[in-house]
Amino acid sequence: MAAPPEPGEPEERKSLKLLGFLDVENTPCARHSILYGSLGSVVAGFGHFLFTSEIRRSCDVGVGGFILVTLGCWFHCRYNYAKQRIQERIAREEIKKKILYEGTHLDPERKHNGSSSN
Amino acid sequence: MAHAAQVGLQDATSPIMEELITFHDHALMIIFLICFLVLYALFLTLTTKLTNTNISDAQEMETVWTILPAIILVLIALPSLRILYMTDEVNDPSLTIKSIGHQWYWTYEYTDYGGLIFNSYMLPPLFLEPGDLRLLDVDNRMVLPIEAPIRMMITSQDVLHSWAVPTLGLKTDAIPGRLNQTTFTATRPGVYYGQCSEICGANHSFMPIVLELIPLKIFEMGPVFTL
Repeated sequence: MAAPPEPGEPEERKSLKLLGFLDVENTPCARHSILYGSLGSVVAGFGHFLFTSEIRRSCDVGVGGFILVTLGCWFHCRYNYAKQRIQERIAREEIKKKILYEGTHLDPERKHNGSSSN
Repeated sequence: MAHAAQVGLQDATSPIMEELITFHDHALMIIFLICFLVLYALFLTLTTKLTNTNISDAQEMETVWTILPAIILVLIALPSLRILYMTDEVNDPSLTIKSIGHQWYWTYEYTDYGGLIFNSYMLPPLFLEPGDLRLLDVDNRMVLPIEAPIRMMITSQDVLHSWAVPTLGLKTDAIPGRLNQTTFTATRPGVYYGQCSEICGANHSFMPIVLELIPLKIFEMGPVFTL
């Protein structure tokens, strides 16, 4: 079985696999997208039914709404997640550089202060 | 390494593998939505009372189900090609190691700074210590530094083999008479396992690959530089 998480490490959540393969708990943004998609599906389908009283067409609208809202939320969330990962990586590199070069002529803070005073 | 009955990808130990996991999540979400749509269409087909035997064409629907899959394929292809080109980037490797496949073991050559060459055989079950992994542990691990770009030159001395380490997102064929190159940068220390991935005879399943990734400072104190 998988090793237990180290102290300080986030615990892996119990996996819930939709249709047997989409792990919504451990895939970033999946749970958020599916939940908003479900909400969008209910709103779109029910709203269509209220206006038209057609059950089958409302179900079609509901399914279409689910797909579109899920996709939209998914791309939006993944874009932000990718931006966040890039920012985290830049921050990690800068912290490492700061620790390594603090006090030397390569200190990033000294370079930055020097350029701003010029 | 993978845990028992694991189906998903292993955690990433290199930036390329992180990208591959991201792409896998992206493709899987698209696949899930397509499956959902198909299941719904199947449900409608099985529960409809409508029967029209005079349908002759459905131009609008045919246009939609031609253009929509094309768009979906483009949405999948663009990130895929991005990662493909990313794997081909050569970023000034610090170390070059040759990996030679044999029946049924690997030879590793660290020739950059000296002449360290050794074989890596699977540990037979009788030689396992408590805590060792059956069919995965080897007598001599390949020791490498983390956070340094490493170039692997992979070839074979006899038949086809394949040098694979899933957690690094690596799988490169070892072809006799040909030198294949792959590069990677490991981001965290640890012991990582892989197995030969091209059928190569009776003991194809018994020639694992074990990487021991350690901090650069400790690596520099080792036999590669002091031999």
